[in-house]
Amino acid sequence: MTRRTTSSESQRPARRGARASQVGLESRTRAWLRHHRAMWLDSAQRLAKRPLSSLLTMLAIAIALVLPSGLWLALDSARLLDAELDESATVTVYLDTRLDEREAMDVAARLRDQAPVAGARLVTAAEGLAEFQQGVGLEDALASLEDNPLPAAVVVTPADTDPDSVRVLASNLEAVEGVDEARVDLAWLERLRRLAELGQRLALALAGLFGLGVLLVVGNTIRLAVESRRQEIEVVTLIGATHAFVRRPFLYSGAWYGLGGGVLAIVLLVLGGHWLSAPVTALAESYGAHFTLPRLGFGGSVLLCFCSTLLGWLGAWLAVGRHLADIKPR
Amino acid sequence: MIVFEHVGKRYGGRSEALADINFRVGRGEMLFLTGHSGAGKSSLLRLIMRLEKPSRGRVLVAGHDLDRFHLSQIPYYRRQIGVVFQDHQLLFDRSVFANVALPLEIQGVEPREAARRVRAALDKVGLLYRETALPIELSSGERQRIGIARAVVNKPSLLLADEPTGNLDPQLSADIMRLFEDFNRIGTTVMVASHDLALITRLRHRVLRLREGRLVGDEEAA
Repeated sequence: MTRRTTSSESQRPARRGARASQVGLESRTRAWLRHHRAMWLDSAQRLAKRPLSSLLTMLAIAIALVLPSGLWLALDSARLLDAELDESATVTVYLDTRLDEREAMDVAARLRDQAPVAGARLVTAAEGLAEFQQGVGLEDALASLEDNPLPAAVVVTPADTDPDSVRVLASNLEAVEGVDEARVDLAWLERLRRLAELGQRLALALAGLFGLGVLLVVGNTIRLAVESRRQEIEVVTLIGATHAFVRRPFLYSGAWYGLGGGVLAIVLLVLGGHWLSAPVTALAESYGAHFTLPRLGFGGSVLLCFCSTLLGWLGAWLAVGRHLADIKPR
Repeated sequence: MIVFEHVGKRYGGRSEALADINFRVGRGEMLFLTGHSGAGKSSLLRLIMRLEKPSRGRVLVAGHDLDRFHLSQIPYYRRQIGVVFQDHQLLFDRSVFANVALPLEIQGVEPREAARRVRAALDKVGLLYRETALPIELSSGERQRIGIARAVVNKPSLLLADEPTGNLDPQLSADIMRLFEDFNRIGTTVMVASHDLALITRLRHRVLRLREGRLVGDEEAA
């Protein structure tokens, strides 16, 4: 009965581990790379064969990516604005009107020595009046006054611009001798900060939600692809394909969808930026500020493409993993 | 090569598809598995291919208890078995050559070596001149021979066939069986499930007879 003489010993599966990996590691790595290259191309060709449906999938991904990344860009510009505002977060310290110019200078020097103060600039009563006249345009009315009604003031720049510490600093400065009142106008700054924080959280939540959306879009597309290649999967499983082998083309498809979606998202962001830049600049100028919409830039584009590719790959991985379990050869 | 020890298989709550099956197949043997449809032929082959686990008993192939395989080992085990299906299971989106090359592609055989072996297998089934054709262009007899070429291209030590002549006329069926005998002659263990009794009787090999999930006959080759 045992007519067989060819060596089937070398093909036994149970002990193939160590020996096989010693003998054929190089050729196996080559085979592995070969299959990756083949699937990379094959999956791209499959997408190219159905350009419209591939494009629609990518567009869905792109739209899901544009919203969070657009918001992120807007917040980035808000941060720039915020940095400018920090410089204007000053405490105006009004000195006692009875002080003369010399005494005022002494007080200013004392204020400058306070611990969390970055700088202090004395505005004498006369300078104050001049500034006031320029700014308000009431030269005639003010000129008719006999005395200068304005006190000397010191504009203090806090070292720490956090609203709470600025407020503490202000009350400390009020305790200094010769100081009448320290005034901080922080409300609007705080409001802006809160808004920025809200925006940040919103961007994070949106990024999370829309990232999930990308996973679902890719997952659903890959699920259909798996379904349409069911017979092929069954056959290759029957003749000894590993799960990794079966999964590979789908992972590449997912990655392609993600990459395509990322590129389209960049295009949409650039177009949107052009569309919005004129009114935004005009709006900023009406406030006397110079402000242009920030651009994604090269680094940002690469990051966006990387993230979207990764999301596509992950979506495919989840979908294939779930559906491979369902597909069992008949 | 194949050992069944008190093997039973039950699907869900229904009656047993296989009950207390015992037999041994030696290395290099050729045998038929016969019985009416529903007698359990396919279930038995599925157990050997490790598509399913027995509910009871043990199945050993080439000395390995199939129950002990880790899930990740199963693909490597299947690569040693060539399988021919009744409906050939060719992939219609690629050429005859690509279909036959599939097992080698899965195993990562270097392309030049793979091409050589694919052509050798196609030559063996007499269809080398069809290598660039698509399966859709072939007759059912030709498709079945391509299915056989794919099953033997990686020189398996065990060849299983599930009703390989189910859709073919007697002349083509005889040709297919002759091919199996050729592979058996060079040392491959061949197990063919078929209900074509006339053909089986003529070929004079060992026959395992199944009826309602039980082994009711084991006739040695005449």
